[in-house]
Amino acid sequence: MNPLTQAIISGLMMGAVYALLATGLTIVYHTAQIMNIAHGESYAVAGILTALVAAWGMPLWLALAAGILAAVLFALLLERVLLRPRRSWSINSLILVTLAVAFFIRGLLNLAVGADPVSFPRLFVGPPLRLLGGVLPLQGAGLIAIGVLSALAMPLFLAGTRLGRQLRAAAENPDAAELMGVNVDFARALAFAIAGAYGALGALLLVPMVSVDFQSGLAMTMRGFIAAALGGMSPILAIACGLGLGLAEAFVTTYWGALAKDPIVFLALIGLALWQSRHIRFGGSLRA
Amino acid sequence: MKYAAIIALFGVLAATSAEAADPLLVGVIAPTSGPVAVVGVRQLSAIQWWQQDVNAKGGYHGRQVELITCDDQGNPETAVTCARDLIGRHALFLLNTSVTGPVRATVPLVKDGPVMIVASPTIEPSPQSFVFQGLPTDLEITRALDDFLKANKVDRLAMIAATDATGEQGVVDAQKVFPQAGVKLELTRIDLRANDASIQLAGVMKSNPQALYSSYSGGGAAAVVKSYVNLGLTVPLIISNGNVTDAFIAVIKNDMPPRLLGLGLRSIVPALVADAQNRARIDYFEKSYQAWKHEPVDQLNHLGLLLADIAGAILANVGDPGNAVADRSFLESGPIVSVQTIHYGPDSHIALKAENMAVVEYKGGHWTKADPLR
Repeated sequence: MNPLTQAIISGLMMGAVYALLATGLTIVYHTAQIMNIAHGESYAVAGILTALVAAWGMPLWLALAAGILAAVLFALLLERVLLRPRRSWSINSLILVTLAVAFFIRGLLNLAVGADPVSFPRLFVGPPLRLLGGVLPLQGAGLIAIGVLSALAMPLFLAGTRLGRQLRAAAENPDAAELMGVNVDFARALAFAIAGAYGALGALLLVPMVSVDFQSGLAMTMRGFIAAALGGMSPILAIACGLGLGLAEAFVTTYWGALAKDPIVFLALIGLALWQSRHIRFGGSLRA
Repeated sequence: MKYAAIIALFGVLAATSAEAADPLLVGVIAPTSGPVAVVGVRQLSAIQWWQQDVNAKGGYHGRQVELITCDDQGNPETAVTCARDLIGRHALFLLNTSVTGPVRATVPLVKDGPVMIVASPTIEPSPQSFVFQGLPTDLEITRALDDFLKANKVDRLAMIAATDATGEQGVVDAQKVFPQAGVKLELTRIDLRANDASIQLAGVMKSNPQALYSSYSGGGAAAVVKSYVNLGLTVPLIISNGNVTDAFIAVIKNDMPPRLLGLGLRSIVPALVADAQNRARIDYFEKSYQAWKHEPVDQLNHLGLLLADIAGAILANVGDPGNAVADRSFLESGPIVSVQTIHYGPDSHIALKAENMAVVEYKGGHWTKADPLR
């Protein structure tokens, strides 16, 4: 096997998931102006619920539908029950609320299914593709294709559709948007629902090739957040940064080993974030 | 004077009766939540089965067994709190079913007793200590694998180990055993939080190994098996003794390798156990446990029962089981019959050796003797 090819394949697979998560984070950020730390829980909820329903002997399509529905419902409830009534709170307080929700869901999933990872059957079954000394499972090919295309659809949706422009307007100036007939509450709820669906999509494509447990959510939020922040919360750049992050992790693991992955990747990210942070705006103020 | 004598007599009778009714307190540290919960839950179930089985037969010397359990969550700090609490509540001895880090953290607390019996193969207790190992050490387990490889004329082995303390010990032992035996070892590591090992596996497969050994224990090792399938590998995959469990099979059931082997206690394949007493114990335990718990028995249950049977031997044979020195002398004095026969001695506190382990294979929904490697 060719380690370079395999690193690229693995990096693209993980990167596609990071891109999906980063996209979900950016759409919520652009609409509700908050960083949803519980975003990765939509990945964990969808993955675990799909695995549970599949384990009960239900058809896979039903399990997948249940997983997506659960993730969307979770995101909608978070917005409607916890965040919308507290819109007057500071952004920092709302971020803390989402952090608390992340830990709550994590505990709930642990209680529901225990600490062991779970998984479910693949959507794409067949012999893996062998390319330039690397191996790409069919599920991985599906993940890269669907993940990247779905993520790319988001900037197009935001920029090219009336609904997308309404979502952006709701974030940039909610009062003016209201005056222009935009239903701001609906726009925000829609943004959370889309983000939940993106998190679920990442889980449904990746989990059959790995596994998911109650702790997966926060780890996914972190990767998605890094990609989104490095991309300056721009949906299109977040996709590139998600893929880049996946590739960077894969290259470090290939050439320096698993022990070096976190130190090297995070050192590089600290440097990049310090440089990039000049361009990240939170609530209109510039953060250094 | 006469009344005082009667009162004193009643007092003595009351005290004697209270003592006879006092339960025998056995402390159990088990990670029943957290990342290694399956390890604690399954071992604790077997220990609880033992308790109800013993109590149903009248206990030991007319006294019932009472378990006082503490969940260390697989966390060293919590494990220390657990050990302190159980010792403070006058547990006669401790059964510690936890993993490397938490067990290591509790060892200093029992330097003057009570006896603590552990089930983490990375722990190699000093014969002067009050700690007894219920399993073979990791070195012995590695030797068991080496014996299997030699018998199958394997001289190229790829190995993947986790980056935690258990993985580190596995690497040290593998580097000690395999090169000496003439087995060329290609080694790689996987981060505990990683969910993809395909890069690492692709790296070690360059050496064209005849078998792949994953020493990674715990549910996270599913990443190794799934990555193996993602890469379309066909070389026999040997998983660690900690993963020869139904829980692990449930996680990987959609991605079974063509040949899945594992390092297991011989007792999980009764046909591999020669001793009639051991086989009788296995048979009784498996039937009774399944009727009681309504779930199949796996290796972790066997391990829990090994610890419980050691506890039972102390309670049955030591006059004052709260005396740590007496407990230690008893354990060092002779064999204890369980699902396998345990031999401690004054110069070894390790229950089992390489010959008590076997390479087993998952076929037809259960673990059987491994077929030869081709």
